[in-house]
Amino acid sequence: MAVLYPSQEWCEAWQEAINNDDAVLETGKNWGVGFNGNWVFQLLPGGGLDETAYVYLEAEAGKCTDARMVNDPSEVDAGFLVEGSYADYKPVVKGEKDFIEGVVKGIFKLNGDMGKVMRNAKFIRAVANSISSFEAEYLGE
Amino acid sequence: MPTIDDFVRPKEWVSGFLNDLGKVVREWGEDRYIPIRQQVDEDWKGHELIKPLLKEVLVDLGVNAAFFPAEAGGTDMPEPMAVANIICEELARLDSGFAVACICSVWGLMPMLLEPHRNMELCLEFGPKFCGEELYVGCHAMTEPQGGSDIENFGLMKGKTIQTTATLDGDEWVVSGHKLWPTNSGEVGDLYVVVCTTNRGSASPEDFALILVPAEAEGVSVGTPYQKAGMSADMNTDIWFENVRVPRRYRMHGPGDDFKYWKRAISMGNIGSTAFCVGVMKNVYEIIKKWTTERIIAGKPLKEHSMVADMLSEVAILIESTSAWMWAYTREFDHPEIYGWDPWDERFVLKTRGLALHANNAVEKACSRAMDFMGSYGYAREYDIEKHWRDQKEIGLWMGGKGLKTLENARYWYDLETL
Repeated sequence: MAVLYPSQEWCEAWQEAINNDDAVLETGKNWGVGFNGNWVFQLLPGGGLDETAYVYLEAEAGKCTDARMVNDPSEVDAGFLVEGSYADYKPVVKGEKDFIEGVVKGIFKLNGDMGKVMRNAKFIRAVANSISSFEAEYLGE
Repeated sequence: MPTIDDFVRPKEWVSGFLNDLGKVVREWGEDRYIPIRQQVDEDWKGHELIKPLLKEVLVDLGVNAAFFPAEAGGTDMPEPMAVANIICEELARLDSGFAVACICSVWGLMPMLLEPHRNMELCLEFGPKFCGEELYVGCHAMTEPQGGSDIENFGLMKGKTIQTTATLDGDEWVVSGHKLWPTNSGEVGDLYVVVCTTNRGSASPEDFALILVPAEAEGVSVGTPYQKAGMSADMNTDIWFENVRVPRRYRMHGPGDDFKYWKRAISMGNIGSTAFCVGVMKNVYEIIKKWTTERIIAGKPLKEHSMVADMLSEVAILIESTSAWMWAYTREFDHPEIYGWDPWDERFVLKTRGLALHANNAVEKACSRAMDFMGSYGYAREYDIEKHWRDQKEIGLWMGGKGLKTLENARYWYDLETL
């Protein structure tokens, strides 16, 4: 059954997808170990989204320990923040566009320790790939 | 106060992420490379210092993986020329010899890595090695004893001087020949991309072949490292291939297409060489800025003397102009859809020769002028100007040398037909 992106149900489905993905487990064994590997994804209005939304993802040693919607990034302790418009996130969640390409081209702005990102780029790619591994429905469509 | 980060790098083309990626490389270098870079010059033969540093960049920082597809364990970075430039520039700021060793690990593989001519079968076979946890290094074996830059002069020579042969025998290629000077030769390279001909003396692009040869294959042998003026982190030796057998699938694409897509790697080599020059010049700028600020002559900083200011101005202009031109051609490389030609178009190779030539002349002048005004201090090892001065010379010698670059630039802009 398709879940609405973004929503608490979608966050839970993503957490399950990540934790069932061998590639994430294999490439992420060092992620979040000794540093804050948690993420906040900021979804700016547009493409059917009326107000800014935040998705929080807790990741450590290749496992996702929590994924949920938050009202404000200050509610959680995240080492990495990704900013982008909902209109740009949608094709990534659908699997039509590549998240890393979006980051490299500046469509998404990534804040955090870039050294950790470079050293764990394969893990980030695996997590990004997991995002389109389950069915979702979208605002504005 | 301006710094090296204020030289032109168009924000419309180079994302914040790529700039951040460059800063990661820079921070790594300040911590791991700068403290020992003068010792690296003495490590030309054994690479005992260099090998672990290569692993840190190619494996830990993910430079090898950056260009491989995700299915093969890579990170498949888009805009490969922009990514390569950032890496080349930052590494060359530390040591241009180390920079070329790093990027040449994947340079020869570009005809099989880049879209739309990616060879996924070969990517899947070699990706896990290049993108794994252990150091695995590529080497583009091109130059031969009799030909010098003839192989790169494909506009006129069309590959007819290539002496290394690839002969199909059943389901195997049999490779025989002798290569000189490849970056990462000797004991460094694990996989050679060998420029061969399937028909010695032929000027047909159909007979030009790019064959992958693992270094451990039977019949491969290497010489001892050359001792050079500089670039110690770039190991160069002879390589001999004596009836080396590899699977038929190790030819990158096939008749005509090997030659076609190899031209894209040559353009990439010209632009990447420019990035090395920019990186070197930026470090020269840092050194002479500090020197001419702190050194007091006749009661005022050296930089406040008009003759010195003239030199400082010249160096800044060389960096700014080279960088601007480099990013313009990088954009053309990464976005052929905007410019209306294929990225392997021979005309683009010719144009990028002009860029590389300008960069070679610029970095040579910048190093020399900096040394002029630092006097004996510039010639002393302590200040690293002499290191860059020695190292940069080789950037002008490779990719066909200044002679070929000059002729090909003229060939493009003036439609030369006999040169």
